[in-house]
Amino acid sequence: MSAIAMDIRRNRLMISYLIVAALLVVLAVAGGLLSDRFLTWRNVGNLFQQLIVLGMVSLGQTFVVLMGGIDLAIGSLVSALTVFLANFLEWRPDLVWLALPLALVAATAVGALNGLLTVVLRVHSLIVTLGMSSVIFGATLMYRKEPGGSVPRAFADVAYAKVAGIPVSAIILVAIFALAGLWLQRTRSGRSIYFVGGDREAARLNGLPVDRIVVLAYALSGLCAGIAAIFLTARTGVGDPRIGVALTLQSVTPVVVGGTILAGGRGGVLGTFLGVLLVTMLNSLLNFVNVSSYFQWVIQGLIIIVAVGIHTSRRR
Amino acid sequence: MAPLDTSMPRSRSPSIATIFERYGLVVFLAVLMAVAALASPTFLRPANLVNVLTIAAPLGMVVIGQTFVILVRGLDLSVASLMATVAVLATAFKATTNDVIPLIFVAAILFSAVVGFLNGWLVARRNVSPFLATLAMMIILQGIRFAYTGGAPISTLPPGMGFLASGRILGVPVNLMTLAVLAIAFGIVLHRSRLGREIFMVGTNPRAAFLNGVAPDRVIILCYVICSVCAGIGGLFLLGYVGTVSNWVGQGYELDSIVAAVMGGVALTGGRGNIFAALLGVAVLMVINNLVLLLGFPIEMQLIIKGIIIIGAAAFYRTRLV
Repeated sequence: MSAIAMDIRRNRLMISYLIVAALLVVLAVAGGLLSDRFLTWRNVGNLFQQLIVLGMVSLGQTFVVLMGGIDLAIGSLVSALTVFLANFLEWRPDLVWLALPLALVAATAVGALNGLLTVVLRVHSLIVTLGMSSVIFGATLMYRKEPGGSVPRAFADVAYAKVAGIPVSAIILVAIFALAGLWLQRTRSGRSIYFVGGDREAARLNGLPVDRIVVLAYALSGLCAGIAAIFLTARTGVGDPRIGVALTLQSVTPVVVGGTILAGGRGGVLGTFLGVLLVTMLNSLLNFVNVSSYFQWVIQGLIIIVAVGIHTSRRR
Repeated sequence: MAPLDTSMPRSRSPSIATIFERYGLVVFLAVLMAVAALASPTFLRPANLVNVLTIAAPLGMVVIGQTFVILVRGLDLSVASLMATVAVLATAFKATTNDVIPLIFVAAILFSAVVGFLNGWLVARRNVSPFLATLAMMIILQGIRFAYTGGAPISTLPPGMGFLASGRILGVPVNLMTLAVLAIAFGIVLHRSRLGREIFMVGTNPRAAFLNGVAPDRVIILCYVICSVCAGIGGLFLLGYVGTVSNWVGQGYELDSIVAAVMGGVALTGGRGNIFAALLGVAVLMVINNLVLLLGFPIEMQLIIKGIIIIGAAAFYRTRLV
């Protein structure tokens, strides 16, 4: 790829980011005008507190989409992990130090299994993760049909903890996104995700360990789902086998809004981060002006179409 | 044994592998039914079989449509949401007499056609990936539906709708007859008509189709319209079966219809598939579901088995490409 082509690509991505950032400003101003409580510290703090779950699953989705796949098992995985965590912690509240790593390892393993299946069976990632999602969901429901379990107080506090008025979860989220961005841009393994997503055959011919990179992307997505599940369990205090049902599709929206192309190879985590902010802020604003959650669905669907429309028409 | 025809490269005597590929699903279905019959004497009772087929009919209708979309390299995730929305639309007439039923059908088909057109337009004209376009449509329909009903179930339906779903004429379920008519009609369209050939051309190679004077955009949009209309009709038949209209009528049918089509050998890469094989996929899925119930396993096990099957079936058919 020539330097100029690279430059144009980067510029286009910058424009995507600028559009989303501009929309964020518009939303913030509109929110401030529509309600005096929207731009208060308290609401902004609340908003940031909610970021981590959607942020983490969207980050995971970004890795997979950049690599040229899609992960539709995220929601079921998050549900299953909240059920595991809440029930484990109800049984042994003192073993938090064991439960959390276990959940993360299990999540990563499930992600890696998704990757392995796509690589070994050479089946489209949509089918593999859809099938996996069905398996996980069924297994979770067989174990527990209703929300249940509980978490120790100290663990629940993590979800609401603040340092100097800033939610700890938001700080963690920003740190993870920064790390992910650095890894994707600055390291060989990170950049290889883009190569595989851009042209898998070319990546193979260039001697990249394509299969390993695919598995890595899915494993990271699983790990991200694990982190999301930990914070979700801490916040809700129960394990709900259906809590993640909507998360799978919600994880796609910020990725697409942030300018990452579903075909793979183009985009980045900064866009996803802006996308997460935009979606969260928009939902919060719609709540403030009492738009029913039903219309929020309609708006979410329209956002996807408009975002894809903008990004594809500029590509032409 | 077919007579030797040197002009057709396909008429070489088929290897065991190809026979297995072509009739594998039939064999699989037969084995499943044998297992079911052995496992539970209830399975082969006419009442049970008719029951299984009655439940299968609406899904069959959706699968016909899904096949059209997958053939042109697409995917429709909005079918289930559309089914529920059409069901809610049917109650909007607040009808208590049967003479409104034709009107309900016309309205449902028109509404579905518009939805399908939008899906197809986004995919073909706006270059939105089928996944995202139909996903967005799914959420939008869901929002509109819930905004209308406020999330509460409704049950104002003409009594005749129940007959469409579970009634019988000369012992044959009405919805099964409807499915058969739809399958034959769309089977002729797909496998015997000019439009059908164009669909396969577009699915195999859109560029080549274009160079041959076929407008891929128009064919693709038409496939999405067909898919949505089939789903809308399926929704009306499922609605009558369920009786009351919840906002989630047809939930899971997007996955099930894709599972059935993939099991029936409809290639997700487009350009290869057969409506009747896809319907055979429905039969397999239904027998498995029934088997899980008859064996007394928890119903959630259906989800697990379905998940494994879709991955397995896709892997099985993929080997054909090599």
